[in-house]
Parts: sequence; C-alpha cells; structure tokens
Amino acid sequence: MKGLLLKDFYLSWRYCRAFLVIVAVFLAVSFVGEDNVFFMIYPIMIASVIPMTLLSYDEHDKWTSYSGTLPYTRTQLVSSKYLVGLCFGTVAFLVSMAATTVRMLTGEGFVLEQFAMVGTALVALGCIGPAVILPYVFKYGAEKGRIAFYITIGLFTAVATVLAGMGFQVLVIGSGLWPLAVVAGVSILLYALSWWLSIRFYQRRDL
Amino acid sequence: MNALEIRNLTKDYGEFTLDNLNLTLPCGCIMGLIGENGAGKSTTIKLILDMIHRDEGTITLLGRDNREDMLLTKQDIGVVLDEVGIPSCLSAVQVGKIMAHTYTKWDKALYAQYLKKLNLPEKRPFKEYSKGMKMKLGIAVALSHHPKLLILDEATSGLDPVVRDEVVEMFSEFTRDESHAVLISSHIVSDLEKICDYIAFLHKGKLMLCEEKDRLLEEYGLIHCSKEQLSELDSQAVRGVKASPYGVEALVRRDGVPTSIPVSPVSIEELFIFMVKEAA
Repeated sequence: MKGLLLKDFYLSWRYCRAFLVIVAVFLAVSFVGEDNVFFMIYPIMIASVIPMTLLSYDEHDKWTSYSGTLPYTRTQLVSSKYLVGLCFGTVAFLVSMAATTVRMLTGEGFVLEQFAMVGTALVALGCIGPAVILPYVFKYGAEKGRIAFYITIGLFTAVATVLAGMGFQVLVIGSGLWPLAVVAGVSILLYALSWWLSIRFYQRRDL
Repeated sequence: MNALEIRNLTKDYGEFTLDNLNLTLPCGCIMGLIGENGAGKSTTIKLILDMIHRDEGTITLLGRDNREDMLLTKQDIGVVLDEVGIPSCLSAVQVGKIMAHTYTKWDKALYAQYLKKLNLPEKRPFKEYSKGMKMKLGIAVALSHHPKLLILDEATSGLDPVVRDEVVEMFSEFTRDESHAVLISSHIVSDLEKICDYIAFLHKGKLMLCEEKDRLLEEYGLIHCSKEQLSELDSQAVRGVKASPYGVEALVRRDGVPTSIPVSPVSIEELFIFMVKEAA
C-alpha cells in the first residue's frame, strides 16, 4: 500500500499546498480578537476534505480504473484514502491544539475544560465529515456521491429541525470531561464504521 | 501452459450482454481481440482483471483462477488501458517511485531504459505529454516489472503511424520469450494483423470466431462472381456477401468453393467487416 500512499502524498502536495497558506492565515486571524477562535478549527476542516479532493482527481484522471489493474486489493484502495485523511487530520489537530495552547497561555491562562472542548470539536469535525461523505463516494463515485451526500445532509437537517420544533432534545452535553470524551469517541467510532462501510461498498463496485 | 483461459464468461448489463465467451491464449502468443466500438472488448478485459463482477463463467490467468490470489497474479501482468490512467500532475520519475512500491519485481534500471528508448521526458507532468507519449509511458510502466502477460486495451488507438509501429514492435519483441503472452484489443485491425498469432472477433457481445491468424487466412478467401454463380455455391461456404451492380464479392471458405472459381486472399480487416455485416 506504500505506493498508493506515496501517490496520494504527491497529489496532495500538488493540489492541496494552497491549503497550507489558508491554514496559516486562518491561524493568524484566530489570535486577533476574542471572537475569532472559530478560525482555529479551520485547519481540521480543510484536512477533512483532502480525501474527497483526492478521490475527485482520481476519477478525473481515470486512476480509479487504472488502480484496479494494479496489485492492490479493494480494501487497500479504500484504506489508503482513510489513512491519508488520518495523517492530515492528525497534523491539523496538533497544529490547532498547539495554537490553542499558545492562545491560552498568552491570554487568560490554561483552562483544561476549554482545551478539551476545542480538542473534542476538532476530533468531531475531522471525523464526521469524511465519515459521512466517503462511503457515498466509494459507492457511487465522486460526482454522484457528492449529490447523495447533500441529499442526506438536507434530509437530516429537515428531520432535526422538525424534531426540534416538536420539542425533542437530541443531545445533552453535561459539564466535565466525560461527555467530551464520549463525543470524541463516538466521532472516532463513526470514522472506523465509515471505513468498514466504504470497503464493503467498493468491493461490490465495478471499476 | 495457457496464459489465459476464459470459459462461458457472461456479463449482463441489461442493454448489453457479453454472452458465453470462450477464449484460450497460449503462452508465447499474441491474441488480437477485434470488435467495433461497444462490442465488449473493454468489458472482457475488465472481467479478466476482476475489475467488474461477472455473472457466469471462469477465468484462469497464468494457471490461477482470477478470483483467487489475484494480487499475486497481477504482479505478473502488465496492463495498458485506452486512457492510461496515470495522475495528470505526476512526472515519469514520480510514477517510477510509486510503481517501485507497487510491484515486487519493479526494475528501476529497465524503466529508465524504456524512458530513454521512448524519448519520454522524466520530469515533465503527465498532462503535458502528447497522446502518443502518454501511451508510451503506460507501456513503459507495464513492461518494467517483468510481466508474463500483457493486457492492452486499445493501446494503439490515437497514435500516429510511426509511434504505432514502434509500439507494435515492442509487443512482438516481448513475446519472443516463450513464457510471455499478449492480449491486445483494438478496432484498428491493421495493427493487429501485423503482430497477432490468434484473432478473436467480438460483435455485439458475442464471439464470432477465435482462430490462429494464419489458419484464418488459409481457410478464407474472396471471390468475385455473378449472383447466379453465387447461388450455385454451398451456402455453408459463403460467410459474407457484398453485392453491387457489377456483380458480387463474397467471403467464402476455400474448401467449399469449386476449383474452377478463383479465390483471392482476404485480409483480416476484410474478413472482420464481411462477418460483422453478415451478422447485422
């Protein structure tokens, strides 16, 4: 699988290096003012779209078919994208957490609960996006997969809005670190479940 | 040993069916898979490589079922698809590094040799290559891990005659080793006529014939005669007819025609066109 990862890193460097500039700018902005913490989560959001971007390029370049002729299993073809996502996600997570630490230490001081909350938000954002979209892409291809993803998100939002209107409380997060750990754990579990599901879908797909 | 054996292969897409295909490609030979666009050539190749799922039949590649140990089998197969499939931003050097981590028998020196022989720039991105250069890089990759079987899907289409000749010569050279074999699909019959030992005709998903090329050329011929003369011939011997106000041109089996009627040689391209029109 080393060959697949190397190929994806070459492509990432070629197509996603502009992201580095965006990440640097957004991190810099996050240090200015009190309300700009939001910009600190941008690196993880950018990292989470890299596997999807790579899959779109693969399809455009006909690599999707060509890779089927190479000595790789379908599991390896899928796993390479999830591993690339994990690598970039981990780097983005570490960068954002380091920036959060610096911001805290140079500001009001280090607050563990706030630090953990940022960490949980990063893990959730980094995992849930790709976890939802990637199985669609591996089942239907980049274009159809993206449409299916938008339909699902639309339906989910509509259902959530209706339920909220009826007075349902979907998620209650209490105080302390445990609820945050649960959210992070569930997000990681979703990523793993999505990985397994994508392998199942891709094994049945005609290349 | 046979490099490839296909038995009763069927794939049904609804609007198109590859129907009960049987093929055998012995080692040391080149087989040309000929068919019009949409005849089922690419479907056959994808089924051979287990890229699409078959409905029925068996495929044996280099003595192994293509559903078992396919990873091992693919180490011995070089493939070139009609659109090559190399990522457009990669250079030949980067492709070489990727393939070195992909094939256990990747030969870096041989790859460099092919790049030089085929005049391929090492650092230019793939997207800046001409169509011919793209195909040549695909061929260099397919040959640089010492494969035993080459599978080429329309690998000569879109190439200029000089490059085509160069590429066709490389395939001939490849099969000088008796353990090697080539399966090449094309709708440009003249390319295949030059190099193939076996010819398989596919038409609308059905195999019309699969024979040794020399035997085909020996068995079949063309006659020019009147409609009356044609009607007197054994209908089993006549495989295709082209009528004009000046008479009839017919594709015939030589053994079914009386010696009094002169039979001229037929090319593979003429043979294919006659058979397709007859089947239409």
